[in-house]
Amino acid sequence: MSFAVRMKGITKHFGAVAALNNVDLEVAPGTIHAIVGENGAGKTTLMRVLYGALHPDSGTLEVEGNPVRFTSSREAIEAGVGMVSQHYGIIPAISCLQNLILGAEGGTLLNLKSAAERAQELADHMGFQFDWLKDAETLSPAGAQKLEILKLLWRKARIMILDEPTAMLSPADSAALFESLDRLAAEGATIILVTHRLPEVLDHCSRVTVLRGGVRVDERLVSETNGQQLAELIVGGSVAKHTPREAPIEAPVSLEIKGLTVKGSRGDMALKGIDLKVRHGEMLGIAGVDGSGQRELFHTLVGLIKAAEGSVILNDQDLLAKSPSERIEDGVRIIAEDRHEEAVIEDWSLDENASLGLQRLAPFANGPWVDSAKRHEKAGEIALRFKTKHGGLNLPMASLSGGNQQRFVAARALCLNPKLILAFQPARGLDLKGTQDVYDGIRAACAEGAAAIVVSFDLDELLEQCDRLAAMNGGRLAEPDAAHARDRTAIGRLMVGVG
Amino acid sequence: MIWRVVALISGALAILAGALLSAHVGPMEAIRTLLHGSLGSPAAIGGTLRETSPLLIAGLAVFIALRAGLFNIGVEGQLLCGAASCTYVALKIPNVAGMLLGILVGMLAGALWALPAGLIKAYRNGHEVITTIMLNNVALYLTSALVSGPLKEKGQQDTTTATVADATRLPWIYNHPPVQVNIALIVGVLAAFALAIWLKKTVAGYQLQAAGANPTAAKFAGISTARTTLLAMTVSGAIGGLAGAMQVLAYEGRFYDGFSPGYGFDALGVALLAGSNPLGVLPSSLLFGILAKGGIALQIDGVPKGITTVVLGFLILIAAVVRYRKVNTVA
Repeated sequence: MSFAVRMKGITKHFGAVAALNNVDLEVAPGTIHAIVGENGAGKTTLMRVLYGALHPDSGTLEVEGNPVRFTSSREAIEAGVGMVSQHYGIIPAISCLQNLILGAEGGTLLNLKSAAERAQELADHMGFQFDWLKDAETLSPAGAQKLEILKLLWRKARIMILDEPTAMLSPADSAALFESLDRLAAEGATIILVTHRLPEVLDHCSRVTVLRGGVRVDERLVSETNGQQLAELIVGGSVAKHTPREAPIEAPVSLEIKGLTVKGSRGDMALKGIDLKVRHGEMLGIAGVDGSGQRELFHTLVGLIKAAEGSVILNDQDLLAKSPSERIEDGVRIIAEDRHEEAVIEDWSLDENASLGLQRLAPFANGPWVDSAKRHEKAGEIALRFKTKHGGLNLPMASLSGGNQQRFVAARALCLNPKLILAFQPARGLDLKGTQDVYDGIRAACAEGAAAIVVSFDLDELLEQCDRLAAMNGGRLAEPDAAHARDRTAIGRLMVGVG
Repeated sequence: MIWRVVALISGALAILAGALLSAHVGPMEAIRTLLHGSLGSPAAIGGTLRETSPLLIAGLAVFIALRAGLFNIGVEGQLLCGAASCTYVALKIPNVAGMLLGILVGMLAGALWALPAGLIKAYRNGHEVITTIMLNNVALYLTSALVSGPLKEKGQQDTTTATVADATRLPWIYNHPPVQVNIALIVGVLAAFALAIWLKKTVAGYQLQAAGANPTAAKFAGISTARTTLLAMTVSGAIGGLAGAMQVLAYEGRFYDGFSPGYGFDALGVALLAGSNPLGVLPSSLLFGILAKGGIALQIDGVPKGITTVVLGFLILIAAVVRYRKVNTVA
C-alpha cells in the first residue's frame, strides 16, 4: 500500500527537551487522519517537520512514495504539502483576493482578472462565498479559515495540515467546514487534522494517531475505538467524567447588569439592552456564535469600551464609573481571548508577565515600587498552578507553546483574591486535562465567593463546566427557561435567535 | 554576545578603511589620527567628554520615548527650545538662582514643545514621527528668529544672545585647562542611572514599557496608553530641554543661530545603539563622542568630517541586524 505521507523515526530536540522521540506516522491518501494529544505532546512540532518549517534531528520523510528532505516550507508546498496554522496568516489590510494569491502570484506581472476568475471557480467548487475585492479584515473567523483552505488549494496542495481549525468556529461553521473537508478527501486530497475535540475525530476521521510526551503511543482505526478509550490514551490514565452542579445557587447577587447598550464599531448597536445577574459563587457560561456581541460585552466589563446606556453593579459598586485599573483593584480578573495580542508581552520574561494587569497590586507592587523578589515568587506559583512547562522564569514568554502560555495566563487571572472573573475562551488551545484544570481553578475561586462569566464558542464545554447558561444572539442575551436550563437543543435555538 | 561586539567593531573598521581608501588616505594612519585626536591626550579626552555630554542627555530623551514605543525625532527642536529659554532666564537672573531656574524653564520648554506631538498621538493617533519633524522645523526657525530679534545682544554683528554671567554657569568638577570636565556630564550619568532605576523598579516604569511593548495587552492590564504616551512624550521633551539648558550653562554660555550641530539627530543613533537598557546610552554616547571629536582631528588632516557620520550610520545598521533574533519554542 502506498502512503500519501510516511514519516519514520522522527526525532527533534529543543535544547535538552525531546519534543519528538522516534515518531512514525503513516497517512493513507484520500483520508482525514487525526493527530491528538495533550499540549506539548508534539503534535504541532511533528506537523512543522512535515511542512518543512523545522528540520528533524533524525528520521525520514516520504511524500507520495518519494523520499523528500524539505529545507523550507516553500519546498513543502511545491511537493504538495500545505498547512493552516492556529494563527492565520491573513493580512487584514489587503483584499481577500490579494491574500489568496500572495506568494503564489504565478509570474512577475499580476493578472488580477484571471486570478479572480480562478479564485471564484475554486470557491464555487468548495461551496464557499467570498467577496474577493473586500479587505480581509471584514472576514469572520470562519471566513478566514475558509480563505486559508483556499490558499492551500490555490497552491495545488494535495496534502493539507489543519491545526485546530475549529477552535474559533461556531458549531454550524464547524459542520460546514467538515462538509468541505469530507468533499476534498473524497476527491483524493489527504487531510491531517490536529485537534483537541474528540467528537470531530470520531465523526469525520478514519484513522487517529495519539501522541503523548513526544512519543507515538498508539494509532487506530477510528471505527475500532471510542471517545473514552482515546481520552485515556491521550492522558495516559483514566479520565473521570465531570458532573455539573445540580442545585441552583442561593447566594446573594454579586454582579447585576441592567439594560446595557453599547455601540458597535460600525455605528450599529452591538449590545441591545443586556440584563444579567450573577450570584456569588456562580459560574455563568455565555454561549453563542462568534460575533453575537460577546466580545463587546466582555470589553465593556473590562472597561475598554464605553456603554451608551444601562448600569453594571459589582458588589454594590458602580462598575461603569471606574477606570479599567480601578476595576482590577476591585477584583476584576481577565482571561483575554487572544493571549498573543491581549494577555502577554512575548519578549518579556515569565517573571515580568506574571504581574501584567496586577502590576499595581501588592505583593507585585510595594507602593510605587516593583517588588521583584515577591514577583518572582508569585510567578513560580502561577507557573506551578496549571503546570506551565517552561525552561525558566527568566526566559521570554515567546519560548512557551500556545497552550502553556494559556495555562500561565489563566493561573494569573485567578491570583490575588478575584471577585469577578471574566474568561473569554479560557481553555483555548488546551487539552482535556488542561481544560479541566482551568475550569476547576475558576470553580475554586467561585467557591470562595467570586462570580465568573465564561464566554466560549464550544457549547458542550460550557454545558459540562458551568452552573448556568445564557446564549447571545445579535447583541441580545437570552436564558433558557428552568425546564430547559441544560438542554443542548434549547440553548442552540437561542444561539441562532429562535427561542 | 562577544561575537556581536566583534562583528560590530570589525564591520565598522572595515567600512571606515574602505571609505578612507576611496578618499586616498591610509586607513591605519587615519584611524591613528582619529584615536589620537579623541583619546590620545588629556586635552583630547576632555574634548571627547564635552562632545559626549549633550549626546548622552539627548540620547536619554530619545531612549525613554523609545521604551514607550514612540520615535521622538523632535529632540533636536526640544533641545533648541530648552537652550533658548534657559539662556533668556539665565541672562535675566545672573546668579545661582538663575542657573537653577534656567534649567527648570529649559526642561519645561522642552516638555511643552513635545506636548502637541504627544496629544496628537494619544488622542488622534497622528504619527509622532511626522509631528515631531514638523515641530523641529518650527523650533529651528522660531529660535533663529528670536536670536535675530528680541534676544539678540545689542551692538552685536552675529545673531547671538549676550553671554551668561560666570556666576550663573554650571561649575567645572575638574578644571585644569586644557582639560575641563563639567558637572553637566555628571548630571547626564546620574540621569542614566535614575532612568534605569525608574524603568526597572517602579510600577510607572513597568507600565510605560508595557505600553511600548504591546499596547493592546497594556490596555487589558488597566494601563491607559493615551496617558502613557503623554507622559513618555513630555518626559522625553523635558530631558531634551535639559540637554539644551546644560549645553548653554556648561559649555556655550549663550544661545546663537546654529546652536546645535544636530545633537538631537545623533541622539537617535545613540539611543538605538544603546539597546534596551538605559545604561547602554553611556557607552554608545561615548562612542559617538569619540567619533565626533576624532572627526575634527581628521578634518584637520584633510579628510571630510562626513566620514565619521558614514561610520556611525553603518554602526547603527549593523546593530539593528545583530539585534534581530529568533526565539525557539521549548514546549
